[in-house]
Amino acid sequence: MISTPDQAALTLQAVHKRYDQKKVLDGIDLSVPTGSVLGLLGKNGAGKTTLIKCALGLVRPDSGTIRVLGDLAQELTAATKARIGYVPQEISLYPWMRVRQLLDYMAAFYPKWNSALVQQMLKDWEVSTGDKVGKMSVGTRQKLAIILALAHEPDLLVLDEPAASLDPAARREFLKAVLEIAAGGQRTVVFSTHITSDLERVADRVAILRGGVIAYEGELDELKDSVKRLHVTSANPLPLTLDVPGAVRIRVEGNEALVSVRNVSEQILAELRAQHAASVRVEDLNLEDIFVEVQHARP
Amino acid sequence: MPVSYAFSVAPTSGVPIYRQLVDQIAAQVAGGRLAAGAFLPSVRQVADHLEINPMTVSKAYSLLEKDGIVEHVRGQGMRVNPPGPAGNGKARRQAILPLLKQVAEAARHLALTPEQVIAQLKPLLEHTDDQHS
Repeated sequence: MISTPDQAALTLQAVHKRYDQKKVLDGIDLSVPTGSVLGLLGKNGAGKTTLIKCALGLVRPDSGTIRVLGDLAQELTAATKARIGYVPQEISLYPWMRVRQLLDYMAAFYPKWNSALVQQMLKDWEVSTGDKVGKMSVGTRQKLAIILALAHEPDLLVLDEPAASLDPAARREFLKAVLEIAAGGQRTVVFSTHITSDLERVADRVAILRGGVIAYEGELDELKDSVKRLHVTSANPLPLTLDVPGAVRIRVEGNEALVSVRNVSEQILAELRAQHAASVRVEDLNLEDIFVEVQHARP
Repeated sequence: MPVSYAFSVAPTSGVPIYRQLVDQIAAQVAGGRLAAGAFLPSVRQVADHLEINPMTVSKAYSLLEKDGIVEHVRGQGMRVNPPGPAGNGKARRQAILPLLKQVAEAARHLALTPEQVIAQLKPLLEHTDDQHS
């Protein structure tokens, strides 16, 4: 194992990938610190799956450098692969196998295999070991894939839309399992989703993918602390050219304006009030609000 | 009842979870529900109970420690400090400030003068018998 100097479990530098004429990844720079739980947010079709596949060396990027647990993504050693857990969006397990057979088969590949954890999760999630994989519902198959990804206690767990086919109760169980991993502080989790409420409990970092680049990356708390929405009301019509330092998105309608803004200060608020004879109310935004605002952000 | 049951968070709120915890614990200390000398539940207990990231709880606890509201006792956890007369008052004034800011903002909207607002607020403050804690 080669340790990375910056203690990042995963780094992507200037990663580009196009399919036909479509630029899917257009210069991705992302670093995921060891021990963190990163939520990768993006609309459907934003390129989350492509980013994840590139990150794990499953898709070759057109250019850029990717390191996973110290290895280059294109040259992962067997030892490094054994330290990674991955749940893809389309799960293709062995349909003819029964759950019991599949578990035995998979366990043979890994030096580490936590049978107690597997049995516990099978029980919690009501996955019966006698069932044939091919006959399972999509949700049950997803549960099984998550169990398989957790069984060898990976140092890096990567999940592509893991909660998409899970019912709410199973989703909570899944999030608890992620928290269990996070509690140690040594293992890293990356999961993509477009369900922001899943992220808010468990993720400590968030990356928002938009237009082929990472539009925002950082601590979730910092994001919530720094992005606010200002409700501006003036006695007079506000100019359509209204601008506020740090503005992410501005909407002006007559005497009122909605301005979402990063790192707003008391001074900026005071200037806004004075300049436009306006009153300004500051609103806290949750992750979903912020996600929507970033989608509409000015280029 | 474990102490951790006394905390609750709204993960989808715009207020970061760590700050919700800090505010709640500070308010409980200021209000006497968490007495001086009491220990906060462990990071793990709170994280398990609220189903949130333990790092979020750690962050809240270290901020509370920095503010002098709790103190880390080796091997035992976070102990609530006795309120200094000034600190306690300051913490409580700090706690009500966001609400007062909202009142001020609403007053500006409604073009009410400070005197008018204070005149309305005063009787409310003096009539406490219909309030429950």
